[in-house]
Amino acid sequence: MSEPAEFQHRRRIQRDLSRRGFLTTTAAGATAMAADMGQINALQSAAVTQQLKQQGTRVILLWLAGGASQFETWDPKPGAKTGGPFSAIPTSANGVHISELLPELARRMQHTAIIRSLNTKVADHGGGASLMETGRLRDPGLDFPDLGAVVARELGRLDSSVPDYVSLYTSTEGRRKGTSGILGARYAPMFLSDNMIPLNLAQLDAVSTVDHKDRAALRDVFAKQFSKHRNNAAVDSHMSAYQRVRGLMASEQLFNVENEPADVRARYGPTQFGEQCLIARRLCEAGVPFVKVARAWWDSHGQNFETHQELCADLDHSMSVLLDDLNERGLLENTLVLTLGEFGRTPRINASLGRDHFANAWSCSLSGYGVRGGVAYGKTDAEGNTVVDGEASSADLFATVLQALGIDHEHEYMVGSRPIPMADFGASPIDEVLA
Amino acid sequence: MLMTRRICCVLLLVDALFGFDSFADDGTLLPAATSVRDAIDHYVQRAIAEHGVPAVGYASDETILRRTTLDLAGRIPTKKEQEWYAALTATQRREQLVDRLLNLPDAAYHLANEIDSHLLSNSPHNGEFREYLLWATTEKRPWDQMFRDMLLAKPAEGPLKGATQFLRTRIREVDDLTNDTAILFLGINVSCAKCHDHPLVEDWKQDHFYGMKAFFSRTYQTKKNVVAEKFFDEVKFKTTEGEDKLASFMFLTGDVVPDATPEFSDQVRKELDEKIRKAEREDDSEAPVPDFSPRLQLVDIALQEDSAAFFAKNIVNRIWARMLGRGLVSPLDQMHSGNPASHPELLDWLARDLKQHGYDLNRLVRGVALCEAYARDSEWTSTDEPPGEEYFAVARTRPLTPRQLSLSLQIAAASPDKWPDTDARDQWIQTRESLENQTNGWVREFEQPKEGFQVAVDEALFFSNNARIHDDVLRDSGDRLIGHLKGIEDDDELLTALWRGVLSRGPVDDEREAAVAWLQRDTEERVENIRQLSWTLLAGPEFRFNH
Amino acid sequence: MDETDTPADTAAEQAVVSSVKISRSFALPGAVFCVTEGDEQSQLYFGSSDFGIYRIDSDAEKPAPEPVSDSRHESYVTGLVRSGDTLVSGSYDGSLIWWDAASGDVRHRVASAHEKWIRRLAISPDGSTVASVGDDMKTRVWNAKTADAIATWGGYELTTPHGYPSMLYAVAFSPDGKWLATGNRTGKVVIRDGATGRVEATLEAPVMYTWDPKARRHSIGGIRSLAFSSDSQLLAVGGMGLVGNIDHLGGASRIEVFDWQSGKQRYEIEDTKLKGLVEQLKFGPDDEWLVAAGGDNGGFVSVYDGAEGTLLAQEKAPMHVFDFQLSDDGSKLRAVGFERASVVEIA
Repeated sequence: MSEPAEFQHRRRIQRDLSRRGFLTTTAAGATAMAADMGQINALQSAAVTQQLKQQGTRVILLWLAGGASQFETWDPKPGAKTGGPFSAIPTSANGVHISELLPELARRMQHTAIIRSLNTKVADHGGGASLMETGRLRDPGLDFPDLGAVVARELGRLDSSVPDYVSLYTSTEGRRKGTSGILGARYAPMFLSDNMIPLNLAQLDAVSTVDHKDRAALRDVFAKQFSKHRNNAAVDSHMSAYQRVRGLMASEQLFNVENEPADVRARYGPTQFGEQCLIARRLCEAGVPFVKVARAWWDSHGQNFETHQELCADLDHSMSVLLDDLNERGLLENTLVLTLGEFGRTPRINASLGRDHFANAWSCSLSGYGVRGGVAYGKTDAEGNTVVDGEASSADLFATVLQALGIDHEHEYMVGSRPIPMADFGASPIDEVLA
Repeated sequence: MLMTRRICCVLLLVDALFGFDSFADDGTLLPAATSVRDAIDHYVQRAIAEHGVPAVGYASDETILRRTTLDLAGRIPTKKEQEWYAALTATQRREQLVDRLLNLPDAAYHLANEIDSHLLSNSPHNGEFREYLLWATTEKRPWDQMFRDMLLAKPAEGPLKGATQFLRTRIREVDDLTNDTAILFLGINVSCAKCHDHPLVEDWKQDHFYGMKAFFSRTYQTKKNVVAEKFFDEVKFKTTEGEDKLASFMFLTGDVVPDATPEFSDQVRKELDEKIRKAEREDDSEAPVPDFSPRLQLVDIALQEDSAAFFAKNIVNRIWARMLGRGLVSPLDQMHSGNPASHPELLDWLARDLKQHGYDLNRLVRGVALCEAYARDSEWTSTDEPPGEEYFAVARTRPLTPRQLSLSLQIAAASPDKWPDTDARDQWIQTRESLENQTNGWVREFEQPKEGFQVAVDEALFFSNNARIHDDVLRDSGDRLIGHLKGIEDDDELLTALWRGVLSRGPVDDEREAAVAWLQRDTEERVENIRQLSWTLLAGPEFRFNH
Repeated sequence: MDETDTPADTAAEQAVVSSVKISRSFALPGAVFCVTEGDEQSQLYFGSSDFGIYRIDSDAEKPAPEPVSDSRHESYVTGLVRSGDTLVSGSYDGSLIWWDAASGDVRHRVASAHEKWIRRLAISPDGSTVASVGDDMKTRVWNAKTADAIATWGGYELTTPHGYPSMLYAVAFSPDGKWLATGNRTGKVVIRDGATGRVEATLEAPVMYTWDPKARRHSIGGIRSLAFSSDSQLLAVGGMGLVGNIDHLGGASRIEVFDWQSGKQRYEIEDTKLKGLVEQLKFGPDDEWLVAAGGDNGGFVSVYDGAEGTLLAQEKAPMHVFDFQLSDDGSKLRAVGFERASVVEIA
C-alpha cells in the first residue's frame, strides 16, 4: 500500500536531513570532515605543507604588548650606564646570558633562539604593532594579513572543527583584534571577549540541541539552492561559516581551564597570563594552528624596573611551564613559540626610572619547532643604542618565522593582478636561528 | 628574480595618467542629450555584442524590486511596497519604482550611509559627520560642493560643522590626509609613489606623491579643533638618487599650482609661528588665516574643467561599483591607463554627464538603476563558462552592508503589517528615522564588505547563538513576524507570509515541501517550529546578499 | 602658649614654615638614591646608579663629586648610612659594604646580605646598628662596626595578593632607638621592637598600592618612606595615591600619619599639585612640621603642618628627589635625586 503523499514527502526531507550527517558531532568536537584531507587549499605549495598539516604544526605567539625592555629580558647590559640595576645570568646555552629576571627561562635556553638585532624604526604602538604583526609597513590601499592569518591559512584545515586562529589578551591595553586582511574573514581570529571565552560559542538555553542542529541542516538545504547557480566566493564563505558552527561550539571546552587537573593548573600558577598559556597549550593540543596570547602592558615610561620585576616574573614562569608542558606532551617538536612586541625600550633611563619607546635595537625570541635552540643572533653596542651586527627588519623576522614553519616566504598571494609576497620584498630569513 | 616581478600597483603613474586626465570629448562619445540609461545600455550592449558574450535575461520582478529597494533605500521592501509593485502594469514599472524610492527619506539616509562608509571607514559611528551627510543628501547637495565642504573644512555652526570631520579624523598624519583624499575623492592611490621604483621616470612618481602632500602639509588643528593652515611650509624629499628636492604643488595631472606664498621677513615669520603655536595650545587663541591656502588651490584644481576628470570619474566608478558589484575600473583606486576601464567611453560619458548636470548624484543613481545591466538575473545556469565580470552580462551577488543588513533584519523581524505606507510621508519619515536609530546598535555586529569580502564564522556564531537574535528578532509577541505567523493556521498562507516577509518573494515548491514537513515536526510546538523555520531564512545567504 | 608672649610673638610662632626655596642645585653622576652626611652637615656622601659611593661638599662653589673608593658595588647603590668613620652601603647587588669613609678601604663586605635587591638602609640613632630591607622581603639588622648579622625578620609575603613579586622599600628607626618600622609594596607597615624583633604594631596604607586589573594588569606604588616623630609616637608613611594610568607616576603625592601604637590615623595628605612618590620624609624640630620630597618625572619638596597635615609651603625641585638630609635646626635640606642635588632653604 502506497503511503499518503505527505508521508512520502516527510520521509524525503528526513532523508535529506539525515544526509547532513556531518552535523552530528561527538562531544569532543571531532567531525568526519576534519579528517578529510581532500579539501586542501589549492594555492599552497602542495607537498611541503601537506606534510606539515599531517604533523600538525602550531604557533604560539606570546605578544608582549606595550613593548618589553630588551635590557630587562634578552639583551642585558649590566654595568653599562644604560643597563639598569639588574644583572645578567648564564643560561643553559653556552655563552648566552639573559637578564636575571628570567631565571627559569635561562635554564631552558636549549629550546630558544634570541634575536637581539631588530631595527624596525617605528616606535608608536599602533604602527609598531601593525609592522611587527604583518611584517611590513601599512599600505593604505591594502590590508595585509597578520602572522596568525597567514599561519591559519597555510597550516589550518579548510573545514577544521577547531578554530585556526585564536587571539587572547590579558587586559584591555593589550587588546588588538588582529587582521586577516586580503586573506578574508575566513582567517580572521577568534577573538576573546573580556571574560576569556570567545563570544557566541555556547548554545542558548532557549534553543534545544535538536533544533540547533536540525535548523542548521534545513538552512543548508535552502542555502544550497541559492548558491547552486551563483559562483561567488562571498556566498561560499557564508556557507562554510555556518558549516563550522557546531564544530567550533564544541571547542568551547578548550577555553575552560577547569577541565584541567588541579596540579596542572597549579603549575601554571595563579596569574591570568599563566592561565591563558595553559589555554594556549590546550588549543594547540586540539589542533589549533595559531594562538596569540597578548600580555599587556609593558609600556614602562615610569618605574621600568618594578614593572619588569612583575611582568618578567610572570613571563618567566608562564613561558617556562608552557615550554615544559609542550615538551612533555611531545608537542614542542611541532610548536613554535615566539615572544615579540611592537618595539623595545630606550637605553636612556628617565627621571621616573622608566624607559621609553625604542625600535632601533631590540630583541625577540623563538623557541621550539624549526628553531635552532641555544643561539643568540645579532649584537647591539655596549650601551644598546644601535645594532652592530646582524641587523634585522620586521620583514626579515616574518620571513624567518615562515621559514621555521616550512612555509615559503616568497610565495605570493594575488590581489587582482597584484602579487603580494608573504614576507615583504627583500626579506631574508635569518638562517642562524633556523634548525 | 623577484625584483622584476615587482609590478605592484603603480607602475605607471606617469605615462599612465594620460587616459584619465581628460574627457575624450572629441565627438566619439554619444551625444550629451542621451539619457543616462540609454548611454549605459548602448555601451554595455556594444561590448557584449562585439565579443559575442552570452548574457542572461532579466531577473524576476520580485528580485528587481528587492534589489532596487536595497540599492536606493538601503533596505528590503515592506509588504505594502511589494503589493504596490506587483499591482503596477509592466510598462514604466521600473521608472515608477525608482522615482518613488528616490523621493523617500530612505534615499537620503542610504546615500549618506554609503558615503559615510566610503569616507570614514576607519572611524565609523562619527555622529557629527553623519549628521552633515544626512543633511547634505537630504538637500541633494552636489558632490563637488560636498567635496568643498569637506576639504575646506571651514568652521561652521549647524550641519556643515560635521563636514570638517573628514580632515579632522586624519589631521595628525599628513600622509593619511594625502593618500585618503587621492584614493577616496580622485580614485588614485598615490602612496606607492613614495617609495617604489618606477621603471621609466623615477622622479615623476615621487613628485606626484609629494606634490599632493604639499597641498596638505600646512594643515593643522587648533586647540579649539578648528582646521587651519600655516602661512608657510615646505615639503622636502629625497629622490631615489639621493638628491634633495623641494615639492611643488603638483596635482595628479602634472599641473603645478604656482606657490603664491608671500615673502615674509624673519621677524614676521617668528610672529606668525608664535601665533600658530598659541592657537595649537591655547583655548582662547584665534588661528591667523593666510591669504594663500594650498588646500583651496587643490580643491579648485581638482574641480577645474581641464582636470576634473579624476574627480568625476572616481565618483561615477564608485557608484557604478556599488550598484553593479564591480567598477568600470577595478580596483577602484587604480585609475590609470595601465589599468583601463572595461568601458572607457561609458566612463567618459557618465563623468561628463555628471559634470554637466552639476554633480547630481541622484541623476546618476537613477540612470544606473534603470539600465538593462542592472536588471539582469544573477544566476548562471548554463554549464558553459560564465562571461567575464567586466561585461556586466550577469548580475553580481553582493553582500549587504551592515546598515542594510540591520535595517532589513528589523523590517523582516517585525510583523509585515506593522510598516506604514511609505506614501504617508510624515509617518514614514518618523518610521525611517526610528529604524535608523534602532539599527545603530546592530551595525557594530557586522563587517563592512570590502574587496574580497568573506563572511566570518563570528557572524554564523552570532546568528546561531546570540541572545539578541533569539530574544529580539525571533520573539513571538504580536508586533513581530513570529507573532504574526503563529496566528496563521493554514500552512500555505503562513509560508507565503514568511517568505514574503523575509525574502520578498513567495516560496517555490521544493521549499514549500521542506517547510511544511518542518512545521509538522512533532518534537516541538508549532510556534517553535515557526521560529526555527524563520531562522533558517534569516540566517541564509539569500537574505544576507543582494542578488 | 607662654603668658609672656605678645601677640606678635604668637603670630611669629604660628608662621612655622612659610617658604621652601631651592638655593642651589648641581649635577651628580647618575641617579642618586641615598645620601648621608659627614661631620660637617654640608659634607655629603651619596650612592649612585653608577654603582659608586661619593663624597661632595655641597657648600663648595663648584661642588665636585669624588669617589670614596676605587671599589664599587655591582649594581645601583640604594642605601648609605654613616656610623662614625664608617660608611655602610647597600645595593641592588644584594650586598652590604662597610667602608672606611676617609680612605675608601673596604672594611667588610657581606656578599649575599639579602637574596634579592636591597632597597634601603637605616642607622639606629646611637649609630650601633644598621637595618637593611630588600625584595627578599626580609628585614635584617647588623652590627654597624663589625658587620655581624644580628637578626633577620620576615613578616611580609614574598608575593602581592595578585600573585606578583613584592618589594620591601622603606625602613626607619625611631629617634628613641626602640622601634624599627618597615614598609612594603602593598602598603603594609610593621613596627618592631628593635632589640627583640617582636612585632609591636602593624598598619595598613593600601591606597599607596595601585593594582590595575583591567587595562594593564600589574601594579605601581608602594610605601617608599617612613619617619617617626621626635617623640617616637607618630609614624609618617610616604608613597603615592591612586594612579589611573600606571605607566606613569601620575598619582598624588601621599602621606599618612599614624598614632602608631593605637593604630589610629591622625591625618592623611593627598597633594595633587606636586605629584608622584614621596621618597623621603622627616619631621622637623619639635615635630611642628613635616618635610616630604620625591617626584614623578619632576621633583618636589613640600612642608606640611606636623599636627594637622596642612600644606605650609612647597616648591618644585629641579629633579626627582630620592633622599635628603635635614639639618638639625631644620633650616636646610640637602636633597639628592635623578642626576642632580639641591640645597633647599626652609624658612
